[in-house]
Amino acid sequence: MLTKNINLLLFSLGLLLFAPFCISAETIEINFAYVGKQDNSALLGVQQGLYEANLQGQFLGQNYNLDIITPANAFNHDYSKYIAVLTAVDLKTFNKMTNHLPDTAVFNLNLDDDSLRRSCLANALHTIPSARMKSDAVAQWQQKEPGSNVTAQAWHGDFVKFAARDLNKRFKKKQGQTMDDDAWAGWAAVKMTSDSVAREKISDAKHMLIHLKTDLSFDGQKGSNMNFRETGQLRQLMILVEDGKIVAEAPVRGVAKPPTLDSLGLLNCEK
Amino acid sequence: MKQYFLVSACLCVFLSQNILAEPTGRIFITNEKGNTVSVINGETLEVESEIAIGERPRGIGISPDGTEVYVAVSEENLIAVFDPKTLKVLRKFESGSDPETFAVHPNGNIYISNEDDAKATVYNPRTGDLIAEIQVGLEPEGVAISPDGSKVIVTSESTNMLHVITVPGNTITDNILVGSRPRAAVFTNNSKIAYATAEITGEIVKIDMENAKILKRSQLEDPKSKPKDVILSKDEKHIYVAGGRSNSVWLMDADTLEVIKGIPVGKRVWGLAITKDGSRVFSTDGVSSTVSVIDTSTNEVIKTIAVGKFPWGVIIDD
Repeated sequence: MLTKNINLLLFSLGLLLFAPFCISAETIEINFAYVGKQDNSALLGVQQGLYEANLQGQFLGQNYNLDIITPANAFNHDYSKYIAVLTAVDLKTFNKMTNHLPDTAVFNLNLDDDSLRRSCLANALHTIPSARMKSDAVAQWQQKEPGSNVTAQAWHGDFVKFAARDLNKRFKKKQGQTMDDDAWAGWAAVKMTSDSVAREKISDAKHMLIHLKTDLSFDGQKGSNMNFRETGQLRQLMILVEDGKIVAEAPVRGVAKPPTLDSLGLLNCEK
Repeated sequence: MKQYFLVSACLCVFLSQNILAEPTGRIFITNEKGNTVSVINGETLEVESEIAIGERPRGIGISPDGTEVYVAVSEENLIAVFDPKTLKVLRKFESGSDPETFAVHPNGNIYISNEDDAKATVYNPRTGDLIAEIQVGLEPEGVAISPDGSKVIVTSESTNMLHVITVPGNTITDNILVGSRPRAAVFTNNSKIAYATAEITGEIVKIDMENAKILKRSQLEDPKSKPKDVILSKDEKHIYVAGGRSNSVWLMDADTLEVIKGIPVGKRVWGLAITKDGSRVFSTDGVSSTVSVIDTSTNEVIKTIAVGKFPWGVIIDD
């Protein structure tokens, strides 16, 4: 009787010990790296994206992790385990990163330099709009409303259409501040990657880069289906703001020529 | 003995009244920005009344016995209950954060999507008691219940899935990845097949619910077509899909998912309901603040009815 009980106890202990391994055998680990400052709103966006990726992943056996790397340590780090690298760095560091990791998607979450788009780096993905996208958006509005002094943004805390209200609400609740352009760019980068993991079952960096660049269909809570140009720029709607208030969206209806999203920013690479 | 008979006769009348109320034939519309429910007379197709219901009413449903109508009052985190006959608001009960849509189970419980909380909740609307809480993906929206009561679909818009919840356990047994932003679903009468819409990718999917497998998917050609509600024709040979900003209701073959016809309605059409006899479909045209009435024998709009501001949900008491 005693032996039987001990056997049962050992068996139960065995189960307890092995249970975690059984679970982890079914769960895929997906890793992101963030390179940049820690007090950056882009990082908050990345963290929001990660939280949402794990909400989705719990139903699909995918677990998402994030390593934060300071710019100072950017080039003495092993990046082999990452599905994609998210950056909020200066132009020089960004260019160096894309050279350093030729087979990995390197997301640009904060730089609006047009030169960076024109150079068409094969592995650079810009979720943040370029300077030219912003000036084109403003010019379209001024064609309709001359003299109007607006600015163009990727995102706004008061944006409600296309379920933007929901993203704004949950970002504020979780991160304690209003979502801005860099935060949206960070959120979008993680979300499009994790959606691709979920949908296409891609778990290596090289295939992820090819998929994101050529075959993406992303819901960034800005209404239209988003994908990347040859320049690496994410096609996206812009929000026009005057005195802190949203006045319109660009492409401006009646002004922009179809395909309207391509009326914003550079389309071609430097020859 | 005589007295006995009288008592049981009274009881019979009492029971039959409670089991199935005589339908009013009315069509009820929630007006998201009007904060009201428009009441349309089913015969004259005229608005006969408007009920002040609360802030941002969206989902609407009717109890299996037809005695109560439920409305999700999103901004107030409540479900409002009114009498379809007297149009009196009977009570309101707490329903978790930001209730968007819900469906009424044949057992009378309601399954609610709580958009803010990534949760689906089950309430007994008679008592207001919370029966179960189920963690789902981000921005849960559409809820559909199989006619046999065994399965519930909750669509999560930002997680791009249909969660299949099995009743009575109220646990998720399958997760089906579909296109971006799934918004609504509907079951066939035999509970074996479901159809769902995905707004951003403009997709309609047909699903084998016994095996949780996608059988067919079809993309609407019009890029402005961001499909929302989907309903079946009475013979189940066709589906009607609310085409959002394409300002059309799409009539599609339920088998091949091919578009047969686009029926022009008002602007940004989202909500759909069909009469029990299958003769009419009602659509809520949000931006136009109208309801379109489609005659299903010709599949043309026979009347456009001005209702409250931004009509969202529609239910028919027939």
